[in-house]
Amino acid sequence: MNAVSIEDLRRVYDGDVIAVDGVTAQFAAGTFTAVMGPSGSGKSTLLQCAAGLDRPTSGRVLIGGTELTATREAAMTRFRRERVGFVFQDFNLMPALTVTQNVTLPLRLAGRRVPAGRVHDLLAGLGLGDRLGHVPAELSGGQRQRVAIARALIAEPDVVFADEPTGALDLRGAREVLDLLRAAVRDFGRTVVMVTHDPVAAAYADAVLFLADGRVVDRMDQPTASAVAERLTLVGVS
Amino acid sequence: MIIVALALSGLRHRTGAFVATFVSATLGAAILMTFAALLDTAAGTTDTVSRDALILMASVAGGWCLLIVVFAVSSTMSLSVRQRSPEMGVLRRAGATPGQLTRMIVGEAVLVALIAAAVAVPIGLALGRVLLDLLADTGQVTASVGYAFGPIALGLGFGVTVLGSVLGALLAARRRPSPARSARGRGRVIAAVVLLAAGVTCGVLTATVMKGQGAAAMQTAGQASIWSAAGLALLAPWLLRLTARAVPRLSASGDLAVINVRQQAATLSGAVMPVIIFVGISTATVAMQAIEDTASAGRVRPGLEKSIQTLNYVVVGMIALFVAIMLVNTVLAVTAGRRGEFARQRLAGATPGQTLTMVAAESALLTVTGVGSGLLASVVTILPYGYARAGDWTPPVPAWPFPLIAAIAVLLTLAATLGATRRAIRGRAITAVA
Repeated sequence: MNAVSIEDLRRVYDGDVIAVDGVTAQFAAGTFTAVMGPSGSGKSTLLQCAAGLDRPTSGRVLIGGTELTATREAAMTRFRRERVGFVFQDFNLMPALTVTQNVTLPLRLAGRRVPAGRVHDLLAGLGLGDRLGHVPAELSGGQRQRVAIARALIAEPDVVFADEPTGALDLRGAREVLDLLRAAVRDFGRTVVMVTHDPVAAAYADAVLFLADGRVVDRMDQPTASAVAERLTLVGVS
Repeated sequence: MIIVALALSGLRHRTGAFVATFVSATLGAAILMTFAALLDTAAGTTDTVSRDALILMASVAGGWCLLIVVFAVSSTMSLSVRQRSPEMGVLRRAGATPGQLTRMIVGEAVLVALIAAAVAVPIGLALGRVLLDLLADTGQVTASVGYAFGPIALGLGFGVTVLGSVLGALLAARRRPSPARSARGRGRVIAAVVLLAAGVTCGVLTATVMKGQGAAAMQTAGQASIWSAAGLALLAPWLLRLTARAVPRLSASGDLAVINVRQQAATLSGAVMPVIIFVGISTATVAMQAIEDTASAGRVRPGLEKSIQTLNYVVVGMIALFVAIMLVNTVLAVTAGRRGEFARQRLAGATPGQTLTMVAAESALLTVTGVGSGLLASVVTILPYGYARAGDWTPPVPAWPFPLIAAIAVLLTLAATLGATRRAIRGRAITAVA
């Protein structure tokens, strides 16, 4: 079963800038996929369209078999907070809220009961058990991104999209975050789609999708960092 | 030279950010020029009674306005400077020294103030004539006194506007890099205590020294609520946190509102201050005039009392209008500065409706704090004046002004907040967080 299915997706900005040019891709449930490509290859736009944060010019997106059809922001937001998690490069946590408040925010906005025990277990499992009452400014970059991942996972979404989740982190913070995403897939059966430009990060995934000029140009299973790096240079010249 | 060029380009490219400052500076300058023109007129007249009346009105009423205008212009200016901290950060990283940044901010402030004061000249010129006609109509000034608008009006109008703007710019420029908030907080509390003490003293004087002095007690009674309102306005961040603490937990939007108000009390209280001053001064004056009308009912009123009544309504009308515009101005500026925060919230799953509900709940907290404090400030006028004029600590004051004035404050705040929030959450959240 596919967690995410993208069919002939195009995104054109301002009438003539083609960011995504007819991408078709499936992401099976319980898999970890990296999306790579040079700057301007359309990978972030693709991710945002798939997550309902941007609207495709044409084509279809299905999340857990349901098509994203909502045109109004309110309806789209309701769908997103039930079915989609998103992790950003610069965390996008609410600075005024504590770790616990940030993580439970999507549930509370959805009017759902907050399972205190599960929130605590999740945060403890992420090594944030002693940080529950802290605000983001009191945390390291790696810790902030772990809070953001907890927030993305709390609603048990069909898929978690991550856009350069290690882009603002040091090596150690990056490794922690990647281990975490890997564990979410392997141990808890979640589906993760991650945009990155780092071959080492991509090597944590089950498969890598290569994008260039808004199109899928290649796919690699069981990637290694060196194989990805090598393939990436070819994408650059081809 | 590069700093002047930067200041100019800043103005050209960020017109929106300067509109709020410009509007409040223009209005402030116009009001100052209106009263200062009375001094110009006094200087050109030979009739001593008229001259004294003009000087009295200009110094008493103009004095209050001076205080409020400096306060308003400097607070809007510092708000607009603070909202540009990312731009300042870029300049600092590009090698601008703190001195250069301060010169740039102050340069912009002077420029905005000068343009605003220039625009204010025709407005002040016209308003001053209206005010003089009013005084002539009520017989306080002889009709033959010729209107003059000259060096005093221009000097005070330009001088005070520029000074207020520079003060605000310097305060904002100095604050950013240093986290020395507590020292500033202490100074603020001391100033608030001094103002409150002045207000209460005026109230006590009204009930003691001025008792039996007739309508003259209005002088001290009126000032009692002005000083008190200014004092409470300085305490707005703390008052706001107090209100927020008293609110029960309800929904996610409501909770976010309470948390925001607690955490951003310093910024959000910018909107509470004008509410306090607006409610305090308007309520006090309307009630005071009602007490006066009851006390002097059945007698033919001497001209002086009649013109005091005119003066009261004109001055309060002007202050109320100015403060109301300040309120809208501040709310728009504060809300526009929260675009990124709203966007992060939307990315976390807040629908546009939930964001609007949240800011509406915040507005409710702000206005409850502002209206409550404003009414408290007006009590310092109403009770002593009632006692001085009617010998009664619970004077018969009509009830209608209170809900009316409160409703105006609530409507202005809510409409401005919701309008600005709607604008701020237009477009895609993902591009707005950057």
